[in-house]
Amino acid sequence: MKTIKRTSLLCGYLFALLLTIPKPAYAMHIMEGFLPAGWAAFWALVTLPFLVIGMRSINKMNAYNPRLKMLLGLVGAFVFVLSALKIPSVTGSSSHLTGVGLGAIMFGPTVMTILGTIVLLFQALLLAHGGLSTLGANAFAMAVAGPMVAYGVFKGAQKLGAPQWLSVFLGAGLGNLFTYIITSAQLALAFPAGQGGVMMSFTKFASVFAVTQIPLAVSEGLLTVLVLNLVSAYAKEELNQLQFNISSREAKL
Amino acid sequence: MLPIDRYAYNNGLSTSHPAEKFAFSMVTLIICLSASDMITSLTVILTMAGVVVIRAGIPVGFYLKLMIVPMTFLVIGVITVAVSVGGTEAYFLYSFTVGAFTLGVTAGSLILAGNLFIKSLSAVSCLYFLSLTTPMVEIILVLKRLHVPTVIIELMSLIYRFIFVLMDTAGQMYTAQSSRLGYSSLSRGYSSISQLVTNLFVKAYRQADNLSVTLMSRCYKGDLSVLEPEYTVSKRNIMFIGVTDIAFIILSQLHGGNLF
Repeated sequence: MKTIKRTSLLCGYLFALLLTIPKPAYAMHIMEGFLPAGWAAFWALVTLPFLVIGMRSINKMNAYNPRLKMLLGLVGAFVFVLSALKIPSVTGSSSHLTGVGLGAIMFGPTVMTILGTIVLLFQALLLAHGGLSTLGANAFAMAVAGPMVAYGVFKGAQKLGAPQWLSVFLGAGLGNLFTYIITSAQLALAFPAGQGGVMMSFTKFASVFAVTQIPLAVSEGLLTVLVLNLVSAYAKEELNQLQFNISSREAKL
Repeated sequence: MLPIDRYAYNNGLSTSHPAEKFAFSMVTLIICLSASDMITSLTVILTMAGVVVIRAGIPVGFYLKLMIVPMTFLVIGVITVAVSVGGTEAYFLYSFTVGAFTLGVTAGSLILAGNLFIKSLSAVSCLYFLSLTTPMVEIILVLKRLHVPTVIIELMSLIYRFIFVLMDTAGQMYTAQSSRLGYSSLSRGYSSISQLVTNLFVKAYRQADNLSVTLMSRCYKGDLSVLEPEYTVSKRNIMFIGVTDIAFIILSQLHGGNLF
């Protein structure tokens, strides 16, 4: 009995140690091969219609303004570089932005679907981060659901009369949190617990990854506020032109 | 420059046809995932490592380091799958109680977790084969042949091109900031990084403007058309790919994998 207690303490200690390794905490991409073939295909199919919608709207915009393609190319590269930047984190170790909230607020969720998916593909191939078979699942969490929530919360808070910093913070922070919840749900659906099924498994994944993801969501929210403050102070002209190019209907920041 | 990208351009397989490499990596990846069999996965890991290290000449040390990259996610994910919460102690193979919760593992969950660990690593080795031997430009070319829509292809080429320009810019700004103690404390770090991101956005915007002016002056009408380099198809490579993948399929069938 004593040895069991000792080993369990040791296991718990090692597990805690693993969680606090001062490695840069990335956003939670599901790694290559982690999802079974069926689920990987399912999430790819779920993401597909959103990609078609995004492509259609880009094509439509492009017909009016051939400069748009260059702008989107540069914006896409900007999002990729953003996700590779190390940011100082509240927990001491450095972490990485997802850029989900910033991109969605600056460029709109439809555009982010296409750009986000391409960025995820590049992250898998160039940074060994994420994967090809799990691209559909990751794209659904980070390029479809995350930007939509971020944009929706941002616009909703603005409508309710919240100050800009608050709506940006809520949009970016909740957008980031939501991607992590979606990813946990995707993992839980693929690996339901023997006892308690999908719900139990969701609780397990969500609580294990909460350690890294909740501080990340807070820093993402804070940083997005700082960046958008600076952007509206020093680069408002560029942002307005860009938003005008992307869609003249969208309200300006 | 990104190390993976550097090796993609300089390796023993850089002159082979990109479609061959793409097909080898994708077909093997699909076999791994759908077979979901430990022996097959282990064979795939060894085969891919062999091809990448011996044929493509990627340094072993670098390859091993790359294999460690997904380890944090993998270890945490696998442990989470293996450990169940709740239930009585009789249900578990091995368990302990923390407060009101009983944590434990069952024989089934251990097998599932072990299989998942090896299977993920084998899938990762397929991904690495592709990314270490095939430059992004060639992958984009293969995707074009597979009739991925033109918008995506063009955006991919543009994004790929400008990732490196913007990364250089960001790197220089970071060096300049940190040499002026811009990251000496948490709050300074935040303000520095947000200045960096804002500047990066402005630079990206200007770059896009310059690019479109350049293209317009060269009769750009909305399509980027470029010449494609020619590659020779090698019968030897195709034979190797066919034989290896059929061998993987047979192996997984012999071990009761659920491929069909």
